[in-house]
Amino acid sequence: MTGRVIVITSGKGGVGKTTTSANIGTALAKAGHKVVLIDTDLGLRNLDLLLGLENRIVYTIVDVIEERCKLKQALVKDKKNPNLSLLAAAQTRDKTAVNAEQLKEICDTLREENDFVLVDCPAGIEQGFQNAVAGANEAIVVTTPEMSAIRDADRIIGLLATKEEISSTKLLLNRVRPSLIKSNEMMSVDDVIGILEIPLIGIIPEDTGIITSTNKGEPIVNDENALAGKAYRNVAQRILGEEVPFLDLDEPKGFMAKIKNAFAKLKVKV
Amino acid sequence: MGLFSSLYNKVAKFFRPQEDDGEASKSVATNRLKLVLMQDRTNLTPRILEQMRSELIDLLSRYVELDKELLELNFEQEGDQVALMLSIPVIRAKDEEEIEAALKAREEQNSKSEGNNEETESDGDSESNEDSDEIIDERTEEEKAEAEKADAIAKELQDVPTIIKKKKVSQPEEMGNNPFKGDDNSEKVELESTTEA
Repeated sequence: MTGRVIVITSGKGGVGKTTTSANIGTALAKAGHKVVLIDTDLGLRNLDLLLGLENRIVYTIVDVIEERCKLKQALVKDKKNPNLSLLAAAQTRDKTAVNAEQLKEICDTLREENDFVLVDCPAGIEQGFQNAVAGANEAIVVTTPEMSAIRDADRIIGLLATKEEISSTKLLLNRVRPSLIKSNEMMSVDDVIGILEIPLIGIIPEDTGIITSTNKGEPIVNDENALAGKAYRNVAQRILGEEVPFLDLDEPKGFMAKIKNAFAKLKVKV
Repeated sequence: MGLFSSLYNKVAKFFRPQEDDGEASKSVATNRLKLVLMQDRTNLTPRILEQMRSELIDLLSRYVELDKELLELNFEQEGDQVALMLSIPVIRAKDEEEIEAALKAREEQNSKSEGNNEETESDGDSESNEDSDEIIDERTEEEKAEAEKADAIAKELQDVPTIIKKKKVSQPEEMGNNPFKGDDNSEKVELESTTEA
């Protein structure tokens, strides 16, 4: 078995790389695939928190590399889903404790026994990024519709284009706020794609549910009713090659808004 | 009648989509971002871009009479390639004699400037001595020059976004199909060159 190694990266911090990794990983595992999540943010690990696994970590990726344990021993199984496991980052070390070849070796070993290896990349374009990208053959670039995040994403896309091993780079637009797009105060999905010019794999709406799900250490994909959870499940399906339409976030919710929208459409036709 | 029209306006306003309220912050963001990404991707600073622009004007005005103010210089991404879009309103074509005269003038200028360089190098010292009355302190002069330079850069920085704004007005696609057809007296030429991104 040769699984796919997908790096989840962004350049800018705080746009939702780790949340995305946790949710896509969980969704893929729920769909019956064997998934390993690797946290490569050495010294600033958080993926364990989002999965609620922080108390179960015994060994980290640095322990594996420095041969204090076997790779299998360091994999922490998810509480709910036995298909999902986590290789945690070391909290007491920095990015220099690992190099690109070592990470590539780990990815190569893990892909032999898993369908998916998702690599959660640290922010920045230095060593940590180079490490995370080393073993990957696909990339998902996470950005938000803000100038600074898009600029950094553009930089990352440029860097990924120089990596021969990475055959596909896709965009995940996070924290989209339809009401702001409607009032022309936020760049729309089309605006962002027009600028970055890479294929879209998902649009995730801003959802306050993310905060509570993080508090509980439970990815939002497990919440059947949450819109962001649905959006992440759709991303997982697209990764699996299914064609899933993007969520229509523009749909107005109130009765008056619906009437108004109907008339606005009518006016355009006339 | 007045009552009816004001009522109609109120109703119409209610049903109008909210999108048309002037320049919203998102288009400001989009334009700023496009400019900054163009610089990031090409390593061309506003200063270098301005120099490129003026050199292009110099070159092209030997052959045609241009509207220098309306010249647009832009980068557009198409897939893996970056295209340099240059849109120049042509006021009129020059005739053969004028072109030759311009070329001759250019040649003369070239040989002259070579000579000038040597001259200024040789009597640079004496010149600064002659002007010493005007210069109170050499440092203040330097500072002045630096301040001027900074002003120039700031001005260029302001100028560049307007280039992009004008782009929208001039509909380059149409011009590309029909390069010598303009709606006023000025004609437009579209130059396009592509480079690997």
